[in-house]
Amino acid sequence: MTLLSVSDLTIEAGPPGDRLRLVDGVSLSVKAGETVALVGESGSGKSLTALSILGLLGEGLTPTAGRILFDGRDLATLAPEELRRLRGADLAMIFQEPVSSLNPLVTVGDQVAESLIVHGRASGAEARERAVEMLKRVGIPEPARRARQLPTELSGGMCQRVMIAAALISRPRLLIADEPTTALDVTIQAQILDLLAELGAEAGTAILLITHDMGVVAETADRVCVMYGGRVVEEAAAVPLFAAPRHPYTGMLLRTIPRLDQPPKRALYSIAGNVPSPRDWPEGCRFRTRCTRADAACTALPPLDAAGEGDRRAACFHPLEGPQ
Amino acid sequence: MTLLSIEDLKVHFPVRTGRFGGAKGLVKAVDGVSLSLAERETLAVVGESGCGKSTTGNAVLGLAPVTAGRILFEGRDMARFDEAERKAAWREMQVVFQDPVSALNPRQSIARSIAEPLVIHGHPSAEIPGRVDELMELVGLNPDQRNRRPGALSGGQRQRVVIARALALSPKLVICDEPVSALDVSIQSQILNLLMRLQEELGLAYLFIAHDLSVVRHIADRVAVMYLGIVVEEGPASKVFGDPQHPYTEALLSAIPVPDPALKGRRQRIRLEGDLPSPLDPPPGCPFVTRCPIAEPACREARPALVDVDEGHRVRCRVRAPEGAANS
Ligand SMILES: Nc1ncnc2c1ncn2[C@@H]1O[C@H](COP(=O)(O)OP(=O)(O)OP(=O)(O)O)[C@@H](O)[C@H]1O
Ligand SMILES: Nc1ncnc2c1ncn2[C@@H]1O[C@H](COP(=O)(O)OP(=O)(O)OP(=O)(O)O)[C@@H](O)[C@H]1O
Ligand code: SF4
Ligand code: SF4
Ligand SMILES: [Mg+2]
Ligand SMILES: [Mg+2]
Repeated sequence: MTLLSVSDLTIEAGPPGDRLRLVDGVSLSVKAGETVALVGESGSGKSLTALSILGLLGEGLTPTAGRILFDGRDLATLAPEELRRLRGADLAMIFQEPVSSLNPLVTVGDQVAESLIVHGRASGAEARERAVEMLKRVGIPEPARRARQLPTELSGGMCQRVMIAAALISRPRLLIADEPTTALDVTIQAQILDLLAELGAEAGTAILLITHDMGVVAETADRVCVMYGGRVVEEAAAVPLFAAPRHPYTGMLLRTIPRLDQPPKRALYSIAGNVPSPRDWPEGCRFRTRCTRADAACTALPPLDAAGEGDRRAACFHPLEGPQ
Repeated sequence: MTLLSIEDLKVHFPVRTGRFGGAKGLVKAVDGVSLSLAERETLAVVGESGCGKSTTGNAVLGLAPVTAGRILFEGRDMARFDEAERKAAWREMQVVFQDPVSALNPRQSIARSIAEPLVIHGHPSAEIPGRVDELMELVGLNPDQRNRRPGALSGGQRQRVVIARALALSPKLVICDEPVSALDVSIQSQILNLLMRLQEELGLAYLFIAHDLSVVRHIADRVAVMYLGIVVEEGPASKVFGDPQHPYTEALLSAIPVPDPALKGRRQRIRLEGDLPSPLDPPPGCPFVTRCPIAEPACREARPALVDVDEGHRVRCRVRAPEGAANS
């Protein structure tokens, strides 16, 4: 069952008349219980896509086209009150910066309990008790004592776990996690990823995971959407995507990652050129300026199903064939 | 030949800890680190956030106070250098930090930034523009862009500017503190290739501080693994990655996500419980004892010694590398 479906989402910045397009016709979907990874270059529009699903786009940013359905309901038609109720109950988010997204003046226990109280799912005392339980689940030692502390008294890794506890306590149906482990060390990252998988499986929570780490993608995702230049350029199940990427950008991205089993000290494969900023996107295929397969056809914009097959899609006129 | 040797280095910072800045504490950021680096060699220092990697590099650069221990450059104790000798030594060692944005003056052209060390060290001014062009070409920048401000460059190009500036005085040693972590993945490999090529062409030695172990595996000759201010394992990269001995190194390596979804769920991961303890309040004895899966009660008693387990491979663990069993 499709839980979330985003179609043709377009987000622009700036005043009418002088608008800059940052997200350009993004479509993606998440099924109930599934983990979908959203990957891509820095600035490709991953965070903006996530924020707009929650209706949390910052000032100056406008969704100018597209439709977002959650559980079949069009989020644009919900009253602000209904949207707020959805957030924190059925839809939760973990942000890129754990420390700055927690309130420094409220104890972590109260912050974890908040969504239960706000949504009237538990009384104050019961909610606090469940918050302590949740803090324990996410691996915080001495949870009862920690619950009474302020975020500033906790390490970055612990704050991250507090965010996760706060997001998961109401057993949301969809969790959007924006780089939830980027600021963490690998041993802590491993704990958090295990925890997300465990809690996800237990409550049937679907996860939209934004990351730039292909290792993390491989270890967590069922399906992957690859973004480049404000567009989804490839979408496929994780195993076939890694084994046989179709879009040249995906192929190059996979080849650039240094691997432990690679002979050391040799030149690494690298993608020539720089990530173009939205102001400098080339006409036609956005990857054209760095693509080794580009030709005259690529001055037109390839649609996502230009190279479709089964449930795979790729936006390319000359897709890669077979294992890379 | 040994270019740099760090002997039993300690860097302790006094800090105020109480909520109102009352109580005094001591952060033992680096607490007895010994390392050496040969010419043309890459020594990587890895370990979790806050374990003292940057502080070690900063102490070498004179940017962190040395509480105890010695730093020898080309065999000579830097603490005994006079002003002229220190200045000469600092020509020979340069640094590339993580964040190319804050490393460059946004109002200066990149040519001026690259020329800065040349000007400071009294390079003849007539030769400077030529040298700047040469450096830009060396790091893969087009000299036509010399008048640009850093704001008009991409992150990868800015890091190239920082590297060009570090190479201006032809150093022997470059301390790279997380040189690619702020860059997008597709740009990281460009910069790593550049660093490897420059090492080859110019005979540079790198003290390479990083937390991305896949990057370290690729670029390092030797690796030192730090935990809470001390080195817990050190050796040739092939040994530390291929045959890790310290339980922390094992956990660290097993936690690296592998980019192959076909292996999903089939890998055995060593799961550590708990966080890195606060450096203000380290556990007695072995610093890893609070998270170690094979700890014994005796581990709390004394800090284990760094014991040779193999040629150039040293491990600090009383279970895996007991004292007195060296080279057996
Ligand atoms: N408020 C804003 N006004 C103008 N441009 C913005 C604004 N917020 C984001 N952008 C731009 O929109 C583009 C997409 O940003 P977004 O944060 O979605 O990228 P991302 O894919 O999440 O990147 P990263 O991997 O670096 O987090 C970027 O070029 C960014 O600079
Ligand atoms: N000037 C200072 N005053 C007080 N404490 C400091 C100072 N500089 C560093 N520290 C502390 O010393 C410890 C080691 O810090 P350091 O920056 O060397 O760690 P690191 O290994 O480089 O970590 P990261 O991977 O996060 O960069 C940390 O606990 C840090 O908070
Ligand atoms: S459409 Fe053309 S330029 Fe774009 S990725 Fe495919 S081959 Fe490359
Ligand atoms: S000395 Fe003890 S606590 Fe320390 S790493 Fe070895 S077994 Fe673990
Ligand atoms: Mg982002
Ligand atoms: Mg550091």
